[in-house]
Amino acid sequence: MARKVLGNDPFGGDSPKPATASAKKPVPPAKKSAAAAKKGEKKPAVTEEAPATTAAPAPAPAPAPAPAPASPSPSMEKAAGAEVEEPSLESVIAQLDALLDQARDPAESRPLLDRLASRLKALTQPEEERALAPAPAAASVLDDEPFDAARELLGSDYYLRRWGQTAIRDRSEEVDDFGLDPEYARRWQPVWDLLYDRWWRVEVEGIENVPTTGRVALVANHSGAIPLDGIMLATALRKEHPGARPLRWLAEDFIFHFPFAGAYLNRLGAVRACQENAERLLRKDACLALFPEGVKGIAKPFRERYQLQRFGRGGHIKLAIRTGTPIVPVTIVGAEETYPMLFQSGRLSKMLGLPFVPITPTFPLLGPLGLAGLPARWKIVFGEPIAMDAYRPEQSEDIVLVNRLNEKLRETIQGTLDRLLRARQSVFKG
Amino acid sequence: MGDGEREGPTMTDAKDHDAHAVTKVTPPGRVVALTGADGFLGRNLIGLLEDDDRVSRIVALDVERPATAGRKTRFYKVDLTQPRVDARLAEIFASEQVDTLLHMAFLSSPTHASAWAHELESVGTLHVLNACRERPVHKFVLWSHTILYGASPRNPNFLPETHPLRGHSESRFLRDKIEAEQVVASFARSSPGTLVTVLRLAPILGPTVKNYLTRYLGRSMVPTVMGFDPLMQFLHEVDALAAFKLAVMRDIPGVFNIVGDGVLPLSTVIHLTGRIGLPIPHPVMYPIVSALWTAQLSEAPPTFVDYARWLCVADGDKALRELKFRPAFTTREAVLDYAHSQRMRDAHLLRTTP
Repeated sequence: MARKVLGNDPFGGDSPKPATASAKKPVPPAKKSAAAAKKGEKKPAVTEEAPATTAAPAPAPAPAPAPAPASPSPSMEKAAGAEVEEPSLESVIAQLDALLDQARDPAESRPLLDRLASRLKALTQPEEERALAPAPAAASVLDDEPFDAARELLGSDYYLRRWGQTAIRDRSEEVDDFGLDPEYARRWQPVWDLLYDRWWRVEVEGIENVPTTGRVALVANHSGAIPLDGIMLATALRKEHPGARPLRWLAEDFIFHFPFAGAYLNRLGAVRACQENAERLLRKDACLALFPEGVKGIAKPFRERYQLQRFGRGGHIKLAIRTGTPIVPVTIVGAEETYPMLFQSGRLSKMLGLPFVPITPTFPLLGPLGLAGLPARWKIVFGEPIAMDAYRPEQSEDIVLVNRLNEKLRETIQGTLDRLLRARQSVFKG
Repeated sequence: MGDGEREGPTMTDAKDHDAHAVTKVTPPGRVVALTGADGFLGRNLIGLLEDDDRVSRIVALDVERPATAGRKTRFYKVDLTQPRVDARLAEIFASEQVDTLLHMAFLSSPTHASAWAHELESVGTLHVLNACRERPVHKFVLWSHTILYGASPRNPNFLPETHPLRGHSESRFLRDKIEAEQVVASFARSSPGTLVTVLRLAPILGPTVKNYLTRYLGRSMVPTVMGFDPLMQFLHEVDALAAFKLAVMRDIPGVFNIVGDGVLPLSTVIHLTGRIGLPIPHPVMYPIVSALWTAQLSEAPPTFVDYARWLCVADGDKALRELKFRPAFTTREAVLDYAHSQRMRDAHLLRTTP
């Protein structure tokens, strides 16, 4: 059967074909199991024959980390030895073949493969139910046949979920394309929640301006010598937004030059700020925070607090026009007082290769604890979204338009900043 | 073009193929020549092409005869570091009527014999291209690497094919390969009659492949750079072979990143392989690796430390769109597949590899 399915296609339009071809050479068992696991997804017609005929369904061999000591051959051989009784099996295989042939066109294949998978699930569902039904199960127990209960367990989704991951407990085995490790980020959430709720007592206004679905760019002022505003913005969206939108934010280059900070923030969701990354994220309909002031925003001395710096060269506006992304202006008040930068250490920053090394009342005096800063009260205001679909993508090259929009956005945020600062009674009580 | 017409006769000829192979008429299928035929990719590709009816003859060019050479393969002992090798190559291309040339005579791991490596990779590519100018081939496929982009904190998370090759200028290993790419690019501009396909492969991992990376991850303590945990991207060995086969079968010129889906942080890769990471601060990492490299105790020169610090991940979308190449294994699956064979090797269950 395997030969037939594979042989239909003279060239193996999809890549798994060479896998089987090279598998002819002496194959280490690990490779075989991985290939089998792969095949279990892509060419299920081959493997699904087994459960169709046996009473106890031998689940598809667990992916690589399954610690089953023996190869799954005994039950599979049994299955192959048994006669195919179901008359419908042939027609089912023919249907699946046809679907597979269609799936060869890679442009079409994702949805088709999904259909194929759901189709297979539907087909195998009755088999499993039959196997679990009391009569045949009782028969197998009564037969005193050695019943392979452990193998059934190993193949279950539950097993794979709970124990199928090798020795990694504190982080998930996979990160997304841009390096966010959801498991790791979740472990740090209590810390950010504590800072958010108790230390900075963040107040949020207008969070409903962030759409629940679709791409959106949050453009915010950057402030505080140690930029935790990205993380706080993500915490605000996670806690207060009705859709609990996950937020990615763009972080300055220098973070990635520096040990620990870059790797750590990257696992939490920060991405290096560049056009390519931002465009890719937005085309995936992400919710993306940008701080167009960049280093200039966080490296300014305390006396210049809440005075917006130059908004880059309008790269964020070009990006929004090109991708048709609405911009939500975000104003953050309080971060400047959290880390009032007393002065910058030029010599130290030159030595460490950093754009600036902040000296604040708490950092580096109190070490890592000083990163929490002073308990100034924060306020985050999400403004009215600015739609960008009125412009054509080519207009992103129109410098005059970009500058005009950029200046307008900057004025909006500066206006909100001034309003909030006027309304604020006390730095620490809000 | 010509693919459709070619397929008809090939299918019928496949049955009485022996008769055709003996009498030397114009072969109905493709004639594929490989330089570096005894390397990992060359060896396994010969094995794969031997089974493919649309390839009527394989011309293996190397200093050693590959063990996988079968009935369809003709072996020529060719040393690309020799000065007059271009004339000999042109002669072979003409007499064997080669239409597809896979140029894979590159080292998969850094070597101390850098002068010889330069002759082989940079100058050897010039020789091969000279032979192609003298006796044109229909298609030229080059094996290249995504590590040629270079690791940098300024890289975007996914490097497109248009990104300049900024591999470390002090690394002879990278520089020779970048030079090879450059001469191939200028050859592609000057010879419109030849389709030039460049496959930039992500670092290859798998159960049977051996290179600097498998040796690095095979150490019981894997040195890493303290405070850095870059995202890594690998390609399963089977996907690497599949990409070359695809390039042989489909006439699609261009440069393509061939990469596995997904990325993993280096620390997770080391966890998955069951090793222990040994974080070393980067100011001392470079001198240590440099000393170890001089003492021939390190897999790679200090320039490779960059890849343990910063990002060098390529974007495989173009290969999916144009070449219609989709990897069968993700980065994670490639690591797991490698890790399992490595565990068996550790337990002496797997001694010999093909």
